[in-house]
Amino acid sequence: MFQVDLKSKTRPGFDLLRLPLVGSLLKQRHARTLLQLPLFVISVVMILHGLFGPQLAPRNLATTLTWVHFRGALILVLLLAGNFFCLACPFMLVRNFARKFFRPVRNWPRVLRNKWLSIGLFVAMLFVYEWLDLWASPWWTAWLILAYFAGALVIDSIFKHATFCKYVCPIGQFNFVASTVSPLEVAVRDQDVCTACATKDCIRGEREPAAPLVVIQRGCELALFQPRKVGNIDCTFCLDCVQACPYDNVGILNRTPATELVPDVMRSGIGILSRRKDLAALAIVFAFGALLNAFAMVSPVYALEQWLAQSLGMPIEAPVLAIVFGVFLVVEPVLLIGMATWITRAWSRNRGPVLPLAIRYSYSLVPIGFGIWLAHYSFHFLTGLLTFIPVTQAAVAELGRAMLGQPQWTLVGLPVNVVQIFEVGFIVLGLLGSLLTSYLLAATDREVQRARAFIPWAALSLVIAAAALWVMSQPMEMRGLVLGSG
Amino acid sequence: LVAVAHGCRPHRSSQQNLTFEYEVSPLPARVGDVTITIKMTDGSARPVAGAHVKLEANMSHAGMAPITAEANEIKPGRYQTHMKLTMAGDWQVLVLLTLPGDIELDQQFEIKGVAPA
Repeated sequence: MFQVDLKSKTRPGFDLLRLPLVGSLLKQRHARTLLQLPLFVISVVMILHGLFGPQLAPRNLATTLTWVHFRGALILVLLLAGNFFCLACPFMLVRNFARKFFRPVRNWPRVLRNKWLSIGLFVAMLFVYEWLDLWASPWWTAWLILAYFAGALVIDSIFKHATFCKYVCPIGQFNFVASTVSPLEVAVRDQDVCTACATKDCIRGEREPAAPLVVIQRGCELALFQPRKVGNIDCTFCLDCVQACPYDNVGILNRTPATELVPDVMRSGIGILSRRKDLAALAIVFAFGALLNAFAMVSPVYALEQWLAQSLGMPIEAPVLAIVFGVFLVVEPVLLIGMATWITRAWSRNRGPVLPLAIRYSYSLVPIGFGIWLAHYSFHFLTGLLTFIPVTQAAVAELGRAMLGQPQWTLVGLPVNVVQIFEVGFIVLGLLGSLLTSYLLAATDREVQRARAFIPWAALSLVIAAAALWVMSQPMEMRGLVLGSG
Repeated sequence: LVAVAHGCRPHRSSQQNLTFEYEVSPLPARVGDVTITIKMTDGSARPVAGAHVKLEANMSHAGMAPITAEANEIKPGRYQTHMKLTMAGDWQVLVLLTLPGDIELDQQFEIKGVAPA
């Protein structure tokens, strides 16, 4: 039987922190700040250009960098490495600076210590994106970036630890789920070193020897105790644990993508996956939200919305959009996952409770969800790869002098037909990941017969992948919705 | 469809009484060729002849290549061009005008809901 061994005592293989140049840079005490500063400067420029620059999306840095470059670079880095956006997050730079003046004393309310609020915000983010046509609005995009800065600042000025990252930030939740399929994770190099460790600095922080209440280097703010941490969920790659460990025993190590979704063990800061309804809901919203977000950019969605508006006599966009969201993010997942769970139980004669089984196997949808996000975002990224150049040239020219030359509007990116090949490849890759994950889940589940548990969930992943391929084959259509215009 | 935009962007023009009209054909537009006709008159309803008219069409989503075209004057004050819209959706058309006397103006209009071919 295949065994997933995530906690062998020593971890051989690749360690990013042991690379000559990159490793020594990332281990510097102020490495995170160094990475955050450029993104902070770019964010400020985006906000200013979004608010005061031209309100034509392809001519504005806020819309171009956010919806073409940031999203694409984020997902490609998650595919090739790990959660490095959270590492370089500019919102945390401002928050860390503010914490020099405001030391939070409150704990995040116990009732909110889960993912439900952030799932709501993630769905709200997807909804607002469609409702306000954020992709077409530099002004709203600038306000969205400002809202993230304000949210991080206010919440983490009031509440202790990394409350915003762990319980609020929608981008963070996206990254946590997506990074489960990343090839790198922050992990312990040698478990024996941790066993012998008495100070547990990776979680408690490094303390002043003469004054143990004074923290010199903080430990993990997301309550992930390194020796019992499994995978990337809730890990912001902040490297505080790397800095705090007195034995240099934490690295950025390679692993097999998505295998962290399989073991149903107690995880530090997370608990047991099959008991986390909120995490499973996040994984489901991640997978079906990918399909919804891609569907919203192709022609059939407008026909569907027009039909809904006319059938229900509702010429207002928000309720029509809410129905579409309800169908994609609630009705469809409940039906499909319910069906897969029912078939699994009936076919493999499982007599266990329904919900833990549904929760456990829902994580198998993460890779296909990731594949769809990857296909969608890389489409915009690769077809518009060079567009930041003329937009930046034009933005500089608006200041009075064309110091970067006249805008080269002919610079765009890869041809659509080439990028479509990548899109298909990414969806197939996601499907393979989901098939592997559902197989491993079935193979390590003693309560079911392997093949009879694997087949229903493999079929579900196939259905989602087929739907994604159909969406990607549709003509792209980016527009705001005008209901009632026929 | 005939849309009329009165006046010009103040930072680009001293002429406040220009009337700018555009017509898109066919309508509703589909992916492929469209004909855009622009009519300009001054404050006394006289055609504005001899202008240089350049059009740039952008998708509402960033990251797409703009399409540019120059319009020919088909009769005094009326300018016409053909553009090949490459994608369904909303298009923003920027019209860059150079009037006699080197007066530069720009106008913007939308072609909403371009349908797939």
